[in-house]
Amino acid sequence: MTVASPVPQRFDLLDPAEVSRLGGIEIVAEGVVEGFLSGLHRSPFRGFSVEFTEHRPYQPGDEPRYLDWKILARADRLFVKQFEQETNLRAMLLVDASRSMAWRGTPERLTKRAYADRLAAALALILLRQRDATGLVTFDEVVRQAIPARVKTGQWGRLVRGLLDTPDGRGTAAAAALRRLTSLLVRRGLVVLISDLLFDRDLALTALRYLRHRGHQVIVYHVMDPAEVELGGPPEVRFRDLESPASVVVRPRELARAYGETVRREIAAWRTTCRRHGIAYHHVTTDLPFGMALRLLT
Amino acid sequence: MSFLHPLALAGLAAAAIPALLHLLERRVPPELPFPAVRYLADAERRSARRLRLRHLLLLVLRTALIVAIVLAAARPLLPSRATGGSLHPPTALVVILDNSPSAGVVVDGRPLFDRLKAVAHAALARAGAGDRLWLVLADGVARAGTREALLAAVDSARPDARRLALVDVVDRAARLVEAEPVPAREVHVVSDLQRTALEGAVSVPRGVRVLAIAPADAAPPNRGIGTLTLSDGGLAIGVTGTPGTPPAPLTVQVRGRPVARALGAPGTTVTVALPASPPGWWVGEVGLEADELRADDARPFVWRVAPPARVSAATDAGPFLTAAIGVLRDAGRLATGHDVVFGERPGPGPSVVLPPADPALLGQVNRALATRGVAWRYAEPGTAGPLAAPGGSLPAAIAGVEVTRRYRLVGTDSAAVLATVNGEPWLVRAGGVVLLGSRLDTAWTALPATPGFVPFVDALANRTARGEAALREVEGAPRVDFTTDGSDTVGATVSRIDPNESDLTPAAPALVRRTLGAELARDADFASAAFAGPRLADVSGLLLLAALLLAAAELGVATFTR
Repeated sequence: MTVASPVPQRFDLLDPAEVSRLGGIEIVAEGVVEGFLSGLHRSPFRGFSVEFTEHRPYQPGDEPRYLDWKILARADRLFVKQFEQETNLRAMLLVDASRSMAWRGTPERLTKRAYADRLAAALALILLRQRDATGLVTFDEVVRQAIPARVKTGQWGRLVRGLLDTPDGRGTAAAAALRRLTSLLVRRGLVVLISDLLFDRDLALTALRYLRHRGHQVIVYHVMDPAEVELGGPPEVRFRDLESPASVVVRPRELARAYGETVRREIAAWRTTCRRHGIAYHHVTTDLPFGMALRLLT
Repeated sequence: MSFLHPLALAGLAAAAIPALLHLLERRVPPELPFPAVRYLADAERRSARRLRLRHLLLLVLRTALIVAIVLAAARPLLPSRATGGSLHPPTALVVILDNSPSAGVVVDGRPLFDRLKAVAHAALARAGAGDRLWLVLADGVARAGTREALLAAVDSARPDARRLALVDVVDRAARLVEAEPVPAREVHVVSDLQRTALEGAVSVPRGVRVLAIAPADAAPPNRGIGTLTLSDGGLAIGVTGTPGTPPAPLTVQVRGRPVARALGAPGTTVTVALPASPPGWWVGEVGLEADELRADDARPFVWRVAPPARVSAATDAGPFLTAAIGVLRDAGRLATGHDVVFGERPGPGPSVVLPPADPALLGQVNRALATRGVAWRYAEPGTAGPLAAPGGSLPAAIAGVEVTRRYRLVGTDSAAVLATVNGEPWLVRAGGVVLLGSRLDTAWTALPATPGFVPFVDALANRTARGEAALREVEGAPRVDFTTDGSDTVGATVSRIDPNESDLTPAAPALVRRTLGAELARDADFASAAFAGPRLADVSGLLLLAALLLAAAELGVATFTR
């Protein structure tokens, strides 16, 4: 008689809201990362320095500069040194904590902020496990939390606490905050921006381009609630903006198509512009499993 | 354009519903937070023109849809030149079907009334759902009803004993339809159009069309019993009918036994003697040989033979009156008794009161009359003049007899006056009391010296003072009905048809046109000549089709223009 072994739970592939009901950010992030890493063979991140791993016999065509002269001198045999890319880098996670991030289309889903926090925590955990110095900046109108990138023990806990200590949005994400961010990121590294990008695209791109110009590798996670992608609601409704006095009366059923086109056009514009400037752009919705969101980076 | 159901047009108010909903719905939309308002604003800005056009299109389509449905429900009628346009505009129609006795005549082996019914049926059968219909028969009652109900009434109609007052009925029918708020108004006269029925003229209101069946060219021969007049021992029979009809034998029966035979032609009067009869009520019938119209071939009559009145005369009644009573007693016309009292004072029963010879007693007489409850009294002396008897039971011989002395009779009931002098009451009957303005003496009037005096006293005693049996004649199927008071027969009612019904001479077409203001149509053409308004086509089907197309268009716009 055979007993079927239980299928291991892959948190990274579950519905984000369901996963979030299992515990706090740490538990979710750890679960997600465990599941995520078990499916990978290599680090998803490429570093800047190299590290020796092994020797192998020289073969014609190998670069002479990689010959190990010491072995040649001692044993009179030709060996070349092999290196592996190092995963030790400086990563800074930028999490948008503006008021618009504290919204969800239905109570069953995570708010965009909650999704961003958990995604950031998972990313941080992965990076720190690779011995990459990781920091965190949360911002809305101003920079709310700024935790420098470190690799020491307890850094992940500080990052998680930094996320938890940042209140839900009090204002709108502003270009001023983005400019302030650039001044915080002095050394080159990896910058991951997690935001709903509901601010002026040109100003935001100016800041991101500046980071890129400073030599940072920039990744943008564009987080949206599914209800922001597909418009719904009562037959007629006044939608009030969360970050400004603006409001608009619409009939969702008759505007849904035009709205969907507008959103898709906006996403395409972000994607095109980011690609033009060497910025990795990923659009995620809050119902996308965290593992799938992380996998976008590989 | 006209409508079969114009009240349904009130539903057009519903056409405002889409606009009202549009406005009301926009008043207080719920407010929800939404982060991507900038995308919404952008989408709305991009599609504002399309949405405005869509809203306008939907509003127009929905309003048009409601209008089309309401109009279809109102059944609009449009003038149609095509032969398919078989409807007429809503019409107020009165069909006058003459089922008076004359309609029962048989012409060419077929009852005339069957032909009239067929014509009326054909005209009514063409009525539509939007028509207002009435049927008038000989009773003059306008029966409103649906086409089916009135067709059933026509089919079940039979010749009636009553005469149709044609001119009056047409006049009332014209006014009835005139008051109806419909585009067309017609009065159909389906009658044999007797010449005798067309007296007077109808003032046909503007907009009302009177259509009459054309009168016959020839008059059917007919004889009928017209008037019957009973006098002492004789019966005068007025024979009526279509002029020119040959005479025919008639038979008089009393209590079922033939008592006389004669030959009568229309327009003549035949007098036959009746056998002496003992006191009591006697019923007889005058019958004619059967002809084309049976309804007027027999007519009943009734008379009462009363026993001699028992009279007494007071000593102040005067010698002439006493002598006349004595003569009448000898002849068996009166008896001695106190049924009727002659004198200067009213008795407890029927009385004939003479003015007192002494003017000083006039006040006592008036008080006695007042005590008896008589509303008449003697007043000052009146002027001399000749007697005039308006008619009734008094002998005609008294008319013109000079009255030289009299008292004026003052009262209020002019119907009580039986004879006058110089236009003033001279002989009145109030209740059971007869008042004379003069004493029956040659010093007061020449009447006692005339041959009519004894018959006058006979009439006063036997008929005037005692009162005559109540005999009435009414229109109806020939028969006699007695009125009883306990075990006594106190009156009789003789039902008979109107003598004018016997003259079947049709009116000339010109007379019909002039009197009724009517257009004439032959039987075969009558139905097609009815409802002369323009032919209309019901376009409700097209409107329903349009409504379906509008609904489909609305669905398409609502679904595919989001």
